[in-house]
Amino acid sequence: MFSLIDAVSFYARAEKVFDPAIRDKPVVVLTNNDGCICAVCPLARELGIPKFVPYFKVKSFLAKHNVIVRSSNYELYADLSERMMNVIARYSDRHYIYSIDESFLHFRKFTCIDDWHAYGHVIRKAVWRETRLPVGVGFGSTLTLAKAANHASKKLPGFDGVAVINDDIARKEILSRMSLTDVWGIGAKLGKKLSILGLKNGWDLATQSPKAMKSQFGVTVERTVNELNNIPCLNWDEIGQDKQEIFSTRSFGQRVTDGHALRAALSSHASTVAKKLRKQGSLVKRLVVFVSSSPHDEQYYKRSMIYEFPVATDNTLKIVEAVSHVFEAIFAPGIMFYRCGVGAVELDNSHFQQQDLFNPSINNFQLMQCYDGINHRYGSGVIEVAAAEKSKKWAMRRSFLSPSYTSKWSEIPKIIC
Amino acid sequence: MKVIPVYIEAGITGFESPAAEYKELRLSLEELLLQHPNATFFGLANGRSMEGRGIFDGDVLVVDRAEKVTNNAVIVANFNGCFVCKIIDTKNALLLSASGEHAPMPITDADSFQIEGVVNVSFRLHKKIPSLLSCLV
Repeated sequence: MFSLIDAVSFYARAEKVFDPAIRDKPVVVLTNNDGCICAVCPLARELGIPKFVPYFKVKSFLAKHNVIVRSSNYELYADLSERMMNVIARYSDRHYIYSIDESFLHFRKFTCIDDWHAYGHVIRKAVWRETRLPVGVGFGSTLTLAKAANHASKKLPGFDGVAVINDDIARKEILSRMSLTDVWGIGAKLGKKLSILGLKNGWDLATQSPKAMKSQFGVTVERTVNELNNIPCLNWDEIGQDKQEIFSTRSFGQRVTDGHALRAALSSHASTVAKKLRKQGSLVKRLVVFVSSSPHDEQYYKRSMIYEFPVATDNTLKIVEAVSHVFEAIFAPGIMFYRCGVGAVELDNSHFQQQDLFNPSINNFQLMQCYDGINHRYGSGVIEVAAAEKSKKWAMRRSFLSPSYTSKWSEIPKIIC
Repeated sequence: MKVIPVYIEAGITGFESPAAEYKELRLSLEELLLQHPNATFFGLANGRSMEGRGIFDGDVLVVDRAEKVTNNAVIVANFNGCFVCKIIDTKNALLLSASGEHAPMPITDADSFQIEGVVNVSFRLHKKIPSLLSCLV
């Protein structure tokens, strides 16, 4: 048996844990730089506030309904996430953290449990009691079915935070009430294609022939169909698969017009991408560098350039240098830059790199090992390439930040005696 | 995870420390004070109503959400949108203070009330630390 457990609107609920004054109020959380709404608590959802709208567009509506607005408090979320994962890990013999608020469990030696529904509630209660975070719990015989049950536990009427798919009746009931894109691994594009074939819901997909699906849509959809029919095809290693693309991008706290500052921001993003590449053992072959003004500006300016390395690399110095190669082509004076970023869009595996007779490697393994070692030991950013000097101008704007209740002694909650 | 650090030694040394074999982990306050580290948070006491139980203004409260609530325990609760530290009278649904100057507060259906955790430990810094006091501002 597998299970997927995740927190219900995690960021918004996390804001309520140490702030009892807003427990019963609608709360929304904004993304980096307070740009968009990224989390909405159930009370705010009832007011019809959608996710991913720019904050300035709904600002007056939020004020009118006394909605509490918060900036993303990553320090707090990271601490609460760790606590939540620690509680969940107690309840199975195999645990895989999938994201900040989702984790899979695998029950291998749990033959004694016959009431999974009750067991789900035991986990839910413990997480609520120890962390004050509500979670949804879904059980299934494959990862995809566990994910479907998790969806049902939170979104479908008639479920109380726990859903179990352990027989064909439950499987049919839940899958037939799910849209195609609610099924794990079916994105918007694929969902559209499948609906052209006349499929309407998850159950329609489950009843397709896996072979036919493979020939039309590839092996991923074949696996999904099998998984929906109790045939396990996915495992930990695959869900934790290396990223195919690595991006570092952010909007500026204050608009940037100066070429030097923009170049420094891009260099810093390049350096972040390089670090992430090394962490997953990848090399970059093609790098995209982009800058833009705001799409809400009168004249929207957007430029991007691709840089191709002669040989794939994970060398911070070379990747930062790439920014300089393309910078003149994307910069224009007089633009109020709002956003910029760097993305590694074509990756190679560093363990199986093909050597090139005419292009010697531009990696510097020892230097990078030393560089990462120093930053790991003394704190991230202690050593950095000079081109990526930080400026306050593009530090993150977080105007509605809650206190770091669990990570700074000067900000622990006050308790009235 | 608790790990005893073992340092790499080069071949050239003087006499090995006779205490090396007896090395243990140093005492940890966390180990002593936190029963359920994962379910515990810290808060700063503000007010004088709990002095009879040894909790003074400016003390640090160690709040354990996993500990079982029993009658007469010192608890932290969300009482109408505020964290309060009181003694819980589970039999009569009252919040009691530990001082003569505060009357018992009944918990009614009109109140929003949730127990947050039990306070089995609190501690006092006899030399005040500015960063800690800034929570009260």
